[in-house]
Amino acid sequence: MDAVAMYQFTQQSLPACKPVLTPAWVTTTFFLVGALFIPIGLVSLHASHSVVEIVDRYDSECVPDLFKSNKVVYIKDMSIHKNCSRHLKVHKHMKAPIFIYYQLDNYYQNHRRYVKSRSDQQLLHGLQHNDTSSCTPEESSNGLPIVPCGLIAWSLFNDTYSFSRGTHKLRVNRKNIAWKSDRNHKFGKQVYPFNFQNGTLIGGGKLDPNIPLSDQEDLIVWMRTAALPSFRKLYGRIEEDLNVDDVVVVNLLNNYNTYSFGGTKKLVLSTSSWLGGRNNFLGMAYTSVGFSSILVAFVFLLLHVRNPRPYGDTSCISWNRKSISS
Amino acid sequence: MAGWRGSRSRPGGGSPRAERIPSSRTIQLGHVQPQAPGHRTVFCNDREANVNAKFKGNSISTTKYNVLTFLPKGLFEQFRRVANSYFLMISLLSCTPVSPVSPITNVVPLSMVLFVSLVKEAYEDWKRLQNDKAINNSSIEVLQDRRWESIPWKKLQVGDVVRVRQDAFFPADLLFLASSNSDGVCYTETANLDGETNLKIRKALERTWDYVTSEKASEFNGEVQCEQPNNSLYTFTGNLIIEKQTLPLSPNQILLRGCSLRNTEYIVGTVMMNSMNVPSKRSTLEKKLDKVIVSLFLILFCMCLIGSMGGAIWINLKDYYLQLGKKDSTNTPQFDPNNRFAVFALGIFTLITLYSPIIPISLYVSVEMIKFIQSTQFINNDLHMYHTETNTPALARTSNINEELGQVEYIFSDKTGTLTRNLMEFFKCSIGGESYGTGITEIEMGGAQRNGKNIGEVRNSSIAIREKGFNFDDARLMHGAWRNEPYPDMCKEFFRCLAICHTVLPEGEESPEKIQYQAASPDEAALVTAAKRFGFFFFRRTPTMIYVRESHVEKMGKVRDVSYEILNVLEFNSTRKRQSVICRYPDGRLVLYCKGADTVIYERLTSGNNDLRNTTREHMEQYGAAGLRTLCLAYKDLSLDMYESWNEKFIQAKSSLRDREKKLDEVAELIERDLNLIGCTAIEDKLQEGVPSCIETLSRAGIKIWVLTGDKMETAINIAYACKLINNDMKQFIISSETAAIREVENKGDQVELERFIKDAVKTELKKCHEEAQNYLQSASGPKLALLIDGKCLMYALDPSLRRMLLSLSMSCSSVVTRLVRKGAQRITLSIGDGANDVGMIQAAHVGVGISGLEGMQAVMASDFAIAQFRFLTDLLLVHGRWSYLRICKVVTYFFYKNLTFSLTQFWFTFETGYSGQRFYDDWFQSLYNVLFTALPVIIFGLLEKDVSASLSKKYPELYKEGIRNAYFKWRVLGILAFFSVYQSIVVYNFVLTSSSRGVTSSGKMLGLWDVSTMAFTCLVITVNLRLLMMCNTITRWHHISVGGSILLWFIFIFVYSYISTNKGIFYVIYVLTSTLYFYITLLLVPVVALLGDFLYQGIQRWFFPYDYQIVQEVHRHEPDGSSAGLLEIGNQLTPDEARSYAFAQLPQEKSKHTGFAFDSPGYESFFASQQGVKAPQKAWDVVRRASMRSKPKKPQTS
Repeated sequence: MDAVAMYQFTQQSLPACKPVLTPAWVTTTFFLVGALFIPIGLVSLHASHSVVEIVDRYDSECVPDLFKSNKVVYIKDMSIHKNCSRHLKVHKHMKAPIFIYYQLDNYYQNHRRYVKSRSDQQLLHGLQHNDTSSCTPEESSNGLPIVPCGLIAWSLFNDTYSFSRGTHKLRVNRKNIAWKSDRNHKFGKQVYPFNFQNGTLIGGGKLDPNIPLSDQEDLIVWMRTAALPSFRKLYGRIEEDLNVDDVVVVNLLNNYNTYSFGGTKKLVLSTSSWLGGRNNFLGMAYTSVGFSSILVAFVFLLLHVRNPRPYGDTSCISWNRKSISS
Repeated sequence: MAGWRGSRSRPGGGSPRAERIPSSRTIQLGHVQPQAPGHRTVFCNDREANVNAKFKGNSISTTKYNVLTFLPKGLFEQFRRVANSYFLMISLLSCTPVSPVSPITNVVPLSMVLFVSLVKEAYEDWKRLQNDKAINNSSIEVLQDRRWESIPWKKLQVGDVVRVRQDAFFPADLLFLASSNSDGVCYTETANLDGETNLKIRKALERTWDYVTSEKASEFNGEVQCEQPNNSLYTFTGNLIIEKQTLPLSPNQILLRGCSLRNTEYIVGTVMMNSMNVPSKRSTLEKKLDKVIVSLFLILFCMCLIGSMGGAIWINLKDYYLQLGKKDSTNTPQFDPNNRFAVFALGIFTLITLYSPIIPISLYVSVEMIKFIQSTQFINNDLHMYHTETNTPALARTSNINEELGQVEYIFSDKTGTLTRNLMEFFKCSIGGESYGTGITEIEMGGAQRNGKNIGEVRNSSIAIREKGFNFDDARLMHGAWRNEPYPDMCKEFFRCLAICHTVLPEGEESPEKIQYQAASPDEAALVTAAKRFGFFFFRRTPTMIYVRESHVEKMGKVRDVSYEILNVLEFNSTRKRQSVICRYPDGRLVLYCKGADTVIYERLTSGNNDLRNTTREHMEQYGAAGLRTLCLAYKDLSLDMYESWNEKFIQAKSSLRDREKKLDEVAELIERDLNLIGCTAIEDKLQEGVPSCIETLSRAGIKIWVLTGDKMETAINIAYACKLINNDMKQFIISSETAAIREVENKGDQVELERFIKDAVKTELKKCHEEAQNYLQSASGPKLALLIDGKCLMYALDPSLRRMLLSLSMSCSSVVTRLVRKGAQRITLSIGDGANDVGMIQAAHVGVGISGLEGMQAVMASDFAIAQFRFLTDLLLVHGRWSYLRICKVVTYFFYKNLTFSLTQFWFTFETGYSGQRFYDDWFQSLYNVLFTALPVIIFGLLEKDVSASLSKKYPELYKEGIRNAYFKWRVLGILAFFSVYQSIVVYNFVLTSSSRGVTSSGKMLGLWDVSTMAFTCLVITVNLRLLMMCNTITRWHHISVGGSILLWFIFIFVYSYISTNKGIFYVIYVLTSTLYFYITLLLVPVVALLGDFLYQGIQRWFFPYDYQIVQEVHRHEPDGSSAGLLEIGNQLTPDEARSYAFAQLPQEKSKHTGFAFDSPGYESFFASQQGVKAPQKAWDVVRRASMRSKPKKPQTS
C-alpha cells in the first residue's frame, strides 16, 4: 500500500461508495429482478415441458397375486422366477436418445453407515489395497477380502430391463451411463471383482469377475450415492425415437428387494433437454420469483406515490420527534 | 503498603540508607493493601548488609510471558475461552467412530485460530518488553567506590546512594539526604503522580545536609527503618538511625519514583525499591460474545436433541441394505436398533460434531484482529486526536474494549489537569465599579460562535502581557495608567490589597522577572503576580513585614520600596470564606484588607454607595457566567484605639485552649465589619482547550458527566459553570453538609449523634429532591436537573439504604456534583484523569482514559486509552467509539448469521438421512468455511464500515445514543437475523436438492450426493458473502476485493481440490457441475432468492422505520465525505445554548445569581508549618486531597 492509501486507511477516509437504499433503488431492483427472472423462467419451463417422461411403478404389480400379502417371502425366494412384463404407452413423440432410469423411493443411500461403507482406494487399486476397514460391515467374507467391498457395492441394484416395440426388440445402450471421471479415475482398469456376494447374505446384484470394475458401469452408477432417499439412476439409453401411441413392452427381472423396507421401484423413460430431465422446479421458481418481484415493485411504487416519505426528513429523527411531542 | 518488597542490595559501595515509599505505577488511592511484615530495615551504602533482606530489584516487568512460558501459558489462555476449548473437545470427539466428520474438520480451523491468536499475543508482549527495556535502561548515577557511576535503573538496589540531576526522574523512592541547595531544600514536580504542576518542596534532615559530594556521601552509613512499600502517596513514617541517633522521617524527606527534580542542580538520596505489576482489564468483549455463543449453543443443543431423537425413532432392521443388525468393526451400538437409548445418546455426540461449525470459532480471533487494527491504526493515528503542541497522538493501550467506547453513558472526570490546566490566571477585575480586562473566555467564545460571531480573532490579535498566572490586558491599568482612571485611589487600594493580603512566600532573586512565588494555591500566586504586573511588586516577606516595591504611586515612573508591618492574619477557612490582613503602613496608617466571597463581604460592607455595590455585583455575575472565579476585595481603615482593644481579644482567643478556632472566628467577626468595597478580581481557572464545547457535545450525545474534584463546593460549582456542566436555567439540588443545623450538632461533639443526624438530614434532602425531580421529569418542559452533593453527604448517601434513591435521583439529573462515585449499575462508565491519584478510578471504570503528553505517566500506564486533551474525547467516543461499537456488533451478528445458516443447511439434510448424522458437505468445506471462504470480508467490514462520516458523527452527537441503548445488539436484532438464517438455509437447501432431483444434462446422467452438496455450498458461500455487502453502509474497493476474493478462493479451492482428491466422493464434481447449464441457472437463482428476503426487509425498514443514522445519511447523501474538514460546526440550534450563556441574567432565579466566588487554599496551615520546619497535624485533604474530594457535575438526560 502506498503512502496515500495508507493515510486514507488510517484516517478512515478511503474512497467509498455509500449506497443508500432509496425507494427508487428498491423498486428498480425488484423490477429488474422480475424482468430478468421471468424470461429465464419461461425458457426453463419450456425446456422442461419439452421433455417427455413415462413413469411406471412396478414393484407391487410385478408380485404375483399369490404373494401380494407377503412380498418379502416372494422376493427372497430364489426359486421363484422374477419375470414380469409391463406395457408402456407412449403418449407423445419421444426423440432419441431416450434415457432409461430406475427410481427407488425410501431408500437411504445417504445413510451415514451406508455412505462411508466403501473403499475408494480398493476400487482403484484392488486387492493391493489392504485396509478396507472403512467397508465395515462388508469388508470380508469367509476370511477373504471382498472386492468391491462395502455396503454400497454389496447392495447393488439388480433388476434388469429389456424393451421391445411390437415384435421389434429395442436396442438398449448401456455404455457411457456413468460419469467419465468415475470410469477413468475412480474404478481401476485392472481391478476385478473378487469374493463378491459369496457370503451367506446376498444383498443385491452380482458382478462378472472377468470384467474390470472400470467397465462395470452399473456398479459405478450405483456407487455414486444419491443425496436423497428418493433417487433415480441411469440404466441405459434407447437410441431410437418412440412414436405417439407406440406400446413399449418391458420385460424385467424383479430381483431387487425393496419390499423389506417398504420402498418403491419405478421405471422411467425420459427424453432430455438442455436443462436435463423433466423438472418444472427451476422454471417455476424463476417465474414465480420474477412475478412476485414485479408485484412487490408495484406495491412499493404505489406506496411511494400515495404516501411518500420525504427523503432525509429530519423530523423523523428520534430526538426531534421527542422534542416535538413533548 | 503492600505493593512491593524491597530488593536485595548488591555488594559494593556503601552509602546512605534508603527508604522507600511506594512507587508509582500501581498506586491506587484508597485501598491500602494488607501490610507485609510491619516494617523494613534498610542499611544505606551497605549492599552486603541488605542481602539478607532480599529486597526486590528495581526493574519492572509488564510482560505476560517469557520464552519458556509462552507456549504453555499462551495456550492455556486460549483454551480458557469457551469456544476454543469447545473445539478442542470436538476435535477429540471427531477422532472417535461416533463422528461423522474427519478430525481435520475441526483441527484445521482450531489450529489456524490458535496460531493467529498466539502470534498476536507474542507481538503485543514483544512490544511491552521493548517498553520495559527502555525504562529499565534509563541511567542513573550511583555512588560506587567513592565515585558516581552511571548504571541502568534496573540495576539499582535498595540502599544505594544515588545522585539525581535537575529535571531527571527519581528512579525509585528515595530518602532525601542532601541537595545542591545550601539549605537542604529541593523542588519536585509530582505531575506524574497527581497531575499537579506546582512544585512541592522537600527538605532533607539537617543532619544529612552535608552528604553532597561523593567523598562525603560514601561515608554515610545509616540505617533506615520504615514501613513496607505501599500505595499511599501522602503518608510515610520511618526513622533514620545515624550513629545511634534516631531521627524521625516524614514525607518531607521522601522523593517518590516517577516525580522529577526541578530548580535544583542535583540531590543525593538513598534507594528503596519496588517493582510492580500492571493490572490488565479483563476483556469485556467475551461477555458480549457469550450472549451470541450461548444462544448458538442452545440452538445447537435443540438441533442435536431433535436429530438424535429422530434417529432413535427411525432406526430399524427393515433397511437390510444398511445391515443395522450387524456389528461393524468398531463395535459401537450407534446403529443398534435394539438399543435405542444408545442410538439416542451417541447420536447427540455425532450431531454435536456435525453441527460444530455453528459455534463461530474464528469469531474471537476475527474480532480481536479487528479491534487490534482499530486501535493501532485508527485510534493511534487519528490526526483529529493528535496534539501538535506536545506532539502527542492518541494511544490505545488495550485493544479489547474499543467498542465500549461507543456505549459510554457515564463519564467520571478528574478536574485538575484534565478539565483544567491547573493554571490560575488573573483575567479580569472590577475596581470602583469599572470593569477591566478584555479577555474572552472559552465559554463566551462558544456562545458567540453559536450566535454567528467570530471573536476568536480578536483574542489572538491582542497582545496581552502573559506570564504564568497573569493573562490580563487592559491598557487602562497597566504601567501606571490607572492614575488617570476615575478612581485612582480605589485602584491603589485594590493593588495594595492584592500585594499585601495573602500568604504567599517569595523565592529566589528579588527581581520581577526572576522571583518565584510559592503559594499554597495557584489562585493566590496569580493575585500576587497580578499585583506585581500592576506595579506593586511584593518581593520579600519576614514574619512581621511585607515589602512591596510600588511604582507610579506618587507620580508616574517613581519606584519606591515600602514595608508594611503585618499585625494580624485572619486566615481563610471554609466557614469564613474570607481572609484578612491587618497591616500598618510606614506612616502608621492601620488598614485591614480583606478578600473573600461576595456573600460574606457584602454582609460586612458599610452602608451607602449602593451604586458601587450593584455594579460590582453585576460584574461578578458576568464573570461568574463566563466561568471565572471571583473574589471580592474590601478594606477598612482602623483607628489605633479600636485596633488595640480588638487585638487584646484576638490574643486572648488565640491563646485559649478550648474552641480556639471558633473563638478566633468570633473575634474576627468583630473587626471585619463596615468594610469598604474596592472591587473584585476574576481569575480564570484555565480550562483545557475545547472543554466546554466538548462537554456540551457529549451531553447532547446522552452521556452523563460527573466531575470529581478535591475543591470546595464553590469552586466545584464554578468549574461546573465554566465547563458548561451546569448553568443557571438548570434546577439545582444542593446537598451540603455545611448547614447551620449540622454545624450545630457538630459543635456538640458527639460523633454518634452527628452521624445519625447527618444521615437523617441527607435522607430527608434526598427524598425531597427525589420527589421534586420526579415532578420535573413528569412535566415535559421542565428544566434540566443538576445535583450538587458534597463529600460528607455523599458518604452517607452511599449507605446501602439510601443508595438506591441517590442512584435514581442522580440518573434523572443533568448534573451531579459529587465527590466520590461508584460504578453505575449496568451502564458503561468511563473515567478520565491525568495523575496517579486517578489511577484507582481509571482502573475501576469500564474504560479508563489517561491524559498523556505531559510528564505524568501514571494515569496513562493504568489507562486503556491515552489522549492528549480532554476535548479529544469527542473523537474518541463519538467517532471511534461509535464506529467500533457499530462494527463489532455487526461483525458479531454477522458471524451468528453465517454460522447458523451453514449449520441449518446441514440440519435440514439430517432429516433426509434417517437421522444418521451423515455430513452434507465435504470435511474440508466445513473446516475452511469459517477460516477461508467467509473470513476476510467480515474483517474488512469490521475495519471500514461507517454509517455516517466522522464529521457527521460529531455534528449529530445524538446518534451516539444508539450505542448507549445498545440498539445494534439486542435479542430483536438477533431474532431477525435468525429468521433470515432459517429462510436462507431453506432456500439454499431445498432449491438445490429439488432442482437436482432429475437428470441435469442432455446426457441424462444423475448427480450424486457430493455433486449436490458442492452445488449447495457454492450457493451458500456466494449468498453469505453477498449478504455482507448488503449490510455495508460504505463500500470501498477492499470490500469488492475481499468479497470477490473469497468467492474466487472458493472456486480455486474446489477446482484444485476436486481435481486432486481421486479417492473421495468429491473427485471431479466441480468439473461435472460446471459442464452443465443447470449449474449456472441455479447459481443465479438461489443467491438472488435467498437475498431478496433481506433486501425486502431492509427496504421496508428504511422506508417506514428508519434509524436515525439512516435519516442523517439521507440528509447528507450528496455531500462529499468531509472527514478531513475537521471542525465541528454546530449548525442547527437544537438547544438554546446561546440563551443560556448570555441571557441567564434575565432568568428568574430562586437564589441569587451565581457570581463565581471560589477560593481554594487547601492545607495552608500545614504548608506554612512545614516551611518553618514545624510539624503540623496532617489534614484529611492533605492525604487524599486530589484523589477524590468534592464534587463535580455530571450531566445526563434532559427534558
